Amino acid sequence: MTSPDVELVRAVSEAGLRFFGVMSASVSHEIRNKLAVINEKAGLVEDIAVAMRSGRAPDPDRLEMQAQRIVDQIRQANRIVRALNRLAHSTDEADATVDVAELVALVVELYGRKAAMAQMVIEAEAPTGEIEVRTNPFLLANAIGLCLDSAMANAGGSRALRVIAEGDGDGVSIRIRGLEGDVDSGGGPATDRAGLGSLLETLGSDLAVDRESGDLVLSIRNLKPRENGSQP
Amino acid sequence: MKVLLVDDEHELVATLAERLAFRGVDAQWATTGRDAVALASRESFDVAVLDVKMPRISGIQLKKELERIHPEMKFVFVTGHGSEEDFRIGSAEADRYLAKPVDIESLVETLKEVVSS
Repeated sequence: MTSPDVELVRAVSEAGLRFFGVMSASVSHEIRNKLAVINEKAGLVEDIAVAMRSGRAPDPDRLEMQAQRIVDQIRQANRIVRALNRLAHSTDEADATVDVAELVALVVELYGRKAAMAQMVIEAEAPTGEIEVRTNPFLLANAIGLCLDSAMANAGGSRALRVIAEGDGDGVSIRIRGLEGDVDSGGGPATDRAGLGSLLETLGSDLAVDRESGDLVLSIRNLKPRENGSQP
Repeated sequence: MKVLLVDDEHELVATLAERLAFRGVDAQWATTGRDAVALASRESFDVAVLDVKMPRISGIQLKKELERIHPEMKFVFVTGHGSEEDFRIGSAEADRYLAKPVDIESLVETLKEVVSS
């Protein structure tokens, strides 16, 4: 590998590790919150049982409601774990046919807490029909995440972003709608900016602002196998 | 002892208040900083239990706002993050710092100690 290649691989690796770290921290925080609620709900059921033994009138409705809420929390925690598991498995193959709408929905779901903390709503718009591209799934997820960071920093007054995947010749486009003002397509902290640049170069992708719509548009071409058979 | 619980997770804070009531603690709760300030403006509390990280306002900022209303109020911070940074800030800013999930008996003990200190 030549020196620029080494630098590129290093930058992409660092961006990937940072992205996975941020997502893991966010998910583990959410799970911890769910566990905390389950802990309190189970404790409340115990408190109610102790009170009933001490002569308080039985209240099956209250107990049933608490049990149902524990089930709801477990269901939510399971959904969060499943999303992180899918992100982890996106590293299984470096070159795969990716269902882009599915990947967008996954990243949007993983960004749920980050968006909530920023008092924002991010929604993935379901496309009509299947939109696929041959690329590195994890690197694409990482690039989508960094684009969302950039878009969140430039969100308009509605504090709502829509992410739309659409077919685009020999590849796909991912549009982020809901931005305002002079959008910098490379926005965000310097480390993320450098990481995004390296990811775009590795994926053979472009990021631009559509001057007509104001959307941030990530264009991804189908990867071509390299001459020596190596893959990004 | 009157306690103000503030956490953006409604199910957590409401249940915690119910459990504290079983232990003779008068606890009221809010899920936003704005509601917490409104509650504290209407009545006084001995201690506030605040989530460190909430949307719109951090536990640290909220503590400052509540202190302006009730300078004598004590504070316990709770976090689900458990990061080094949270620990450093929480320990420095509050009378006590606890990590989720919180053991209810430990919380009651902590509240009593903080109020009597």
